[in-house]
Amino acid sequence: MQDFTNGTIDITALPKYEEVQFNALSRKYWKVALLNTAIFLFILALAMALLLFFAKETRSYIYVFAAGYLILSIFLIMLYQARIKRTGYAIREKDLIYKSGIISIATSIIPFTRIQHITLNEGIFSRMFQLGSLHVFTAGGGSGSITIPGLDIELARTIKAELTRQLTNTD
Amino acid sequence: METDFSEPKRQSAAGVAVMFANHLQHSVRVLIFPIILLLVRAKGVNVWYLVAAFLFFLFIIAIYSYLSYLRFTFFLDEEKQEFIIQRGVFNKEHLSIRLDKIQQVNINQSLIQRIIGVYSLDIDTAGSDKKEASIKAIDHHTATILRERLLNRDIDPDIDEQSAPEISTKSSPLLKLSNSTLFKVGLTSNYGASVALLGGFIFAIMETLKNYTEAFQLEENPIKALSTKGLDLASTCVLIFFALLIVLGTNIARNFIKYFNFEVNRKKVVLAITCGLFEKKHTLLQPARVQISSYSQNYFQKKLNLLNMKFKQASFGTADDDHDEDNKKHDIEIPGCDETERDQLLQMIFDNIPQKEATFIPNYRFLVLTIMLRVVFPVALFLLFGSVLSYLRPYFWWIIPYVILVVIMLYFEFKHHRLYLSEGFIIKKSGIWDIEHQILEPHKIQSITTKQYFWHKKADIGHLILHTAAGTIHFKYGKYAEIHLMVNYWLYNIESGKKDWM
Repeated sequence: MQDFTNGTIDITALPKYEEVQFNALSRKYWKVALLNTAIFLFILALAMALLLFFAKETRSYIYVFAAGYLILSIFLIMLYQARIKRTGYAIREKDLIYKSGIISIATSIIPFTRIQHITLNEGIFSRMFQLGSLHVFTAGGGSGSITIPGLDIELARTIKAELTRQLTNTD
Repeated sequence: METDFSEPKRQSAAGVAVMFANHLQHSVRVLIFPIILLLVRAKGVNVWYLVAAFLFFLFIIAIYSYLSYLRFTFFLDEEKQEFIIQRGVFNKEHLSIRLDKIQQVNINQSLIQRIIGVYSLDIDTAGSDKKEASIKAIDHHTATILRERLLNRDIDPDIDEQSAPEISTKSSPLLKLSNSTLFKVGLTSNYGASVALLGGFIFAIMETLKNYTEAFQLEENPIKALSTKGLDLASTCVLIFFALLIVLGTNIARNFIKYFNFEVNRKKVVLAITCGLFEKKHTLLQPARVQISSYSQNYFQKKLNLLNMKFKQASFGTADDDHDEDNKKHDIEIPGCDETERDQLLQMIFDNIPQKEATFIPNYRFLVLTIMLRVVFPVALFLLFGSVLSYLRPYFWWIIPYVILVVIMLYFEFKHHRLYLSEGFIIKKSGIWDIEHQILEPHKIQSITTKQYFWHKKADIGHLILHTAAGTIHFKYGKYAEIHLMVNYWLYNIESGKKDWM
């Protein structure tokens, strides 16, 4: 790695993005996630009930269905929990960092100077709990942008205002 | 037309003819099926009615073309630094383009325009709006001046006036493709596209033949006979030989049509590229607007000292999929050049020839997962199906050539997967047959993603994804500690430097 130092800067002394302390998402986001899962599971239960009601020959498998349903529910809830636990964001002086993922943990960094625009979205459930999700777009298209879900709406507004201020500063 | 663009202007008067041709072509394309239906149904109707209807149709289009010619105006707002196009027959459309958002201005000439003797001027913006800004009929002199105005907005108008005539007087080009180079390029590149084209063609012929035999209830279907009797070795060889000949032929023909008389000229700070046999294309490339420069070469091309270069520019919204049509529109390709010409071009783009100073090699685990996904998994699936469906069993031996081929390909993919760094440049090498080098300057990075699977934590392996406005660059299975260092360094570069990405 010494190959591309410039003499004046020591690369190992540069600020390290990998050692940044991440902020967790709002606690209330867990409730939103649970609500979403509950609705999905409810629809699934309804579909299964309909199947059992109309297709009589499937009734002998009712215990298999029930067991599968239970396992899926537990699995989904655990998945959500794991995901929320591993999601975090950090705002440094000059960039925004977002970390997420279950099987693979991805860390994305957007320097403020590369931000194109920022939007703040509020879903129905999110609004119930005063939460919002922040989308930060770059010219790198969809894959180069960051979405931070589950922020307290006031905090999200503050961040958005701050980032927008930074944007106009650099222009 | 003079060179003052501050007043709203119409297109060349010949534009009416171009618009007429365009509208006619467009409406015929839209209405072709209703028209055919009408013709088939209306057998009893007097022919003169049809002729009258046709003439009326032409008349309507002519009126429409004339109106759209009258309504189409453009002008340059020097104060606001905007180029404004107004158009639309029924609903007026007002298109304003900020000059600093213009990436590229192309002067093209289609066959119709060539006959009439006008050009079209297409403005390529880096904006998210998909609307195409193009002037369909403009004479060459005005077009070149307007183009200079649109691109070199900082330069004094006096210098502009002087440089305008210079365009027509040819200076010695930076790069010129001879017919023999084009021939060589056609022989050695783009096999995939030509094979796909040929495949589609053969499929279409088979389909029509099938329909034909079914329609006339022929006893003997030549295709069916072929497939039932089978082919002996000699005729297979002949067939393959002909297929190869056709692939190479179409390749060469395509290359000649697209890149005939290919020339790169240097004009102050921009590169002017012209090419085309039937449709002439003039493109101005601004080095600062190039996001990713790449060059590629396969085994044959290496022997011939031929390189294929590509300059990718920003394409908003479509940066996700690299193979998007819209994305390709922004790419500028140089089909053939040698190494010294490549270095000259890179020198022009970067003011510097990118060097490979530090090399980064992916971990051998690169092979493990890809072999699992592309060899072990499909073979297991095939065996599983084979054990259930007995008629698959005679084909089990196919596994052997498949495994050998795929493993060899994966090995080459692994061997060519490299990342090189030097002061101010990131070079990514990749490819199986066509080996591509993508060159990126750190300040063109939009955002960076690093990724690690949890089972790679101990081995300290991770992936790096660089997002740019012209697509992404992946480096897989690198040492995570090294990736961290690179990322910190690039972030330092982007955030401390004042260099903008566009």
